[in-house]
Amino acid sequence: MTAISMQPLRRLVMGRNTRILAVYILIGILLLIGALSSERFLSERNLFNVLRQASFLGVVTLGQMLVILTAGIDLSVGSVVKLTVLVSAVLMNGSSENTIPVMFIVMGLGLLIGFVHAFFINQLDINPFIVTLASYVILRGIALSISTSPIGKSSREVLLFYDQRLGPLSVIFVLFILLVAFLYWMLRYTTFGRYIYALGGNQEVARLSGIPIKRVRYGVFMLCSLLASLCGLLWLSRMGVGDPVIGNSLELSTITAVIIGGTSLFGGRGGVIGTIGGVLLLTILANLLVTLNVPQYYQGLIEGAVIVAAVALYKQDRA
Amino acid sequence: MTDTILEMRHISKAFAGVQALRDVSFACQKGEVHALVGENGAGKSTLMKILAGVHQADSGEIVYKGTTYRGFKPREALDKGISVIYQELALSPYLTVAENIFLGREPRYRGGIIKTQQLRQQAAAVLKRLGVPDIPLDIPVSELTVARQQMVEIAKALSRNADLIVMDEPSAILAGHELDQLFVTIESLKQQGVTIVYISHRLDEVFRVANQVTVLKDGEVVSSQPISQLNRAELVRLMVGRSMDEIYPKSKHQHGEPALVVDGILTDHLSEKVSFTLNKGETLGIAGMVGSGRTELARAIFGADKLTAGSIQIGGKKIVPRSPRHAIRSGIALVPEDRKGQGLFTALPIRNNISISILKLLSHLGIIDRKRENAVVEQSRRSLSINMANADLEVQFLSGGNQQKVVLAKWLETRPAVIILDEPTRGVDVGAKFEIYQIMRQLNDTGVAILMISSELPEVLGMSDRILVMRDGAVAGSFEGGAATEQAIIERATSQEAVV
Repeated sequence: MTAISMQPLRRLVMGRNTRILAVYILIGILLLIGALSSERFLSERNLFNVLRQASFLGVVTLGQMLVILTAGIDLSVGSVVKLTVLVSAVLMNGSSENTIPVMFIVMGLGLLIGFVHAFFINQLDINPFIVTLASYVILRGIALSISTSPIGKSSREVLLFYDQRLGPLSVIFVLFILLVAFLYWMLRYTTFGRYIYALGGNQEVARLSGIPIKRVRYGVFMLCSLLASLCGLLWLSRMGVGDPVIGNSLELSTITAVIIGGTSLFGGRGGVIGTIGGVLLLTILANLLVTLNVPQYYQGLIEGAVIVAAVALYKQDRA
Repeated sequence: MTDTILEMRHISKAFAGVQALRDVSFACQKGEVHALVGENGAGKSTLMKILAGVHQADSGEIVYKGTTYRGFKPREALDKGISVIYQELALSPYLTVAENIFLGREPRYRGGIIKTQQLRQQAAAVLKRLGVPDIPLDIPVSELTVARQQMVEIAKALSRNADLIVMDEPSAILAGHELDQLFVTIESLKQQGVTIVYISHRLDEVFRVANQVTVLKDGEVVSSQPISQLNRAELVRLMVGRSMDEIYPKSKHQHGEPALVVDGILTDHLSEKVSFTLNKGETLGIAGMVGSGRTELARAIFGADKLTAGSIQIGGKKIVPRSPRHAIRSGIALVPEDRKGQGLFTALPIRNNISISILKLLSHLGIIDRKRENAVVEQSRRSLSINMANADLEVQFLSGGNQQKVVLAKWLETRPAVIILDEPTRGVDVGAKFEIYQIMRQLNDTGVAILMISSELPEVLGMSDRILVMRDGAVAGSFEGGAATEQAIIERATSQEAVV
């Protein structure tokens, strides 16, 4: 009643924005620590690298975010990336003519994987967690059956793409930003975007509202896997070969970034701006720890602490 | 008047500058049933939340059993014997009845092992004291009816030796004989010296159960007196601040050709095939107890449950509704009974809720035309007089009445030929109720056919041109509006053997 009716004011003034703000404040703190402890940290070269690195995680995380916004989850993204790297390296095999066809093939493969996920969830009513967990294991198995050691070769064009610049920025980072802008627009100004929030907000209400929830689910899962396969291609560009190590535990990093970015695991709340914050925070933190020569064993510890700190900040805000 | 158990003195409370309670004083005598009434937003819940320690008052004090407190912490209030039973029951669905009653306070051995036998005995004793010894101790509460779950909540309060139990709209989830059972329980609690604060929107209940009534309006007490000194009209006037001579607007009785013909439909949740005809501009009321198949009938017509037989005709076209989507496209709308679970995206803005079912119409190639969307929302706000600061507010922050108007707006925007209203005025205050009735009449006047499901018999009698009564998943009788009486409907709605 009255008690509750006052909260919107508070929320409008600080509510969701604080959640997102918290991430950016944490990023600011990390940058400050970095700047104070190493002069290399804020160098143009390092920032260029950090943003390019963030784009790798970012591309996949955007897809994960879409799925999570519908109250789903996709545990298979790491395996999709791994499979894409291997398949594209083997098929491309250093040939320039093969480049474009292979890109289409692996992105088509991504769409197919997403379609299968949504199919099982929609038609057989199996939980997304289960479906994509199975898919994680299966796709990983297929990928490793192709090779357990680096295999294949990217074309020269793909290899060169990694170092392309647009002004001071990496082309890969620009690509990421374009994706961000597109998804931001899509979530706000299209029916599909509205339906995503509606489905995540309450599936039953969505169904009773006449929303084509199955189609929405096909959409988000296919986009998610498509973005994962795009990330796989970026990795091919970076490595030049199909390295089966790529994509390990990536699904956890994407979920972490989405959560740190303020998107609710239960769906219906969150968005792009926070998610970029989550991606940047994780990437900058990893970069900083390396710059500071923190032993690898402690890196996990510190990353975990930051996750808890970020999420604790949200809880504070919600109380 | 000597045995005052609770006195809340000069309580004021503001939220971010808006005064929710202004110098409110409220006193309860031991063993009385004290009704706390008022429109949504009047401050009833805030006052009770201060008592329960959920909120702290800005000023004022609480005198409880002779001791003066500045306020309570939630745990403190419980320990001192104050229990609040909220509308949303706080039970753990998969734990048993006995486990729920003593949740967190189980009798234990050293080392934390629960003394199961003792737990069951104590639980049985509490249920006996409550007058419902037949509730089984060992089944998960999710298998009980809502009415019985509520009894378990009350048992939980009793097991804490509560002297003061606040019931926040307990009847909102009950119907018919379940309500009678609740009143019997309240009466027995009263005999045992337990004091009850009874919050309700339904005035007939207040008159039935309370000794004393306190009316809140806009955060202030406008009246506190024995219920015997008031009649219904006076109480309404106190709550609303204006008199309401005519609660139910008159029907014009101008009915056209059939809008909806239901032809022998059956689902897994109905026991017999249902057939009826609903004409343009007509309101057909569906009465019956909770669980009699009313909601299931609505869901069948709306395509939310799978039909196993039959079909419907709408606007002369025969269809078998496959999904809500299909039904909506055919011109049917359903305003569901459970606003939060089925009607609204509570965490989304008002705007998104109103436009969600017509986004297709407001967009081109999937891109939403925000101008047109805003125009539609603004139009709805004005025509339904939805009270909101702006359309970006999440609907969960609106009062019950305004939430219901948002659901109505969403469905009216689909321009339905037939609109099904399942408990259209549940959890809605008197003022908003009146407005909803007027909207229904306006819809009838423009030819929209209404199927109204309601547990409130005065509402069914007041609004319906015709009435269907349901029982045990089948139609048990029908009346022309003028010919029905409460008694006749109740007789049809209840079978010989009482269903528990």
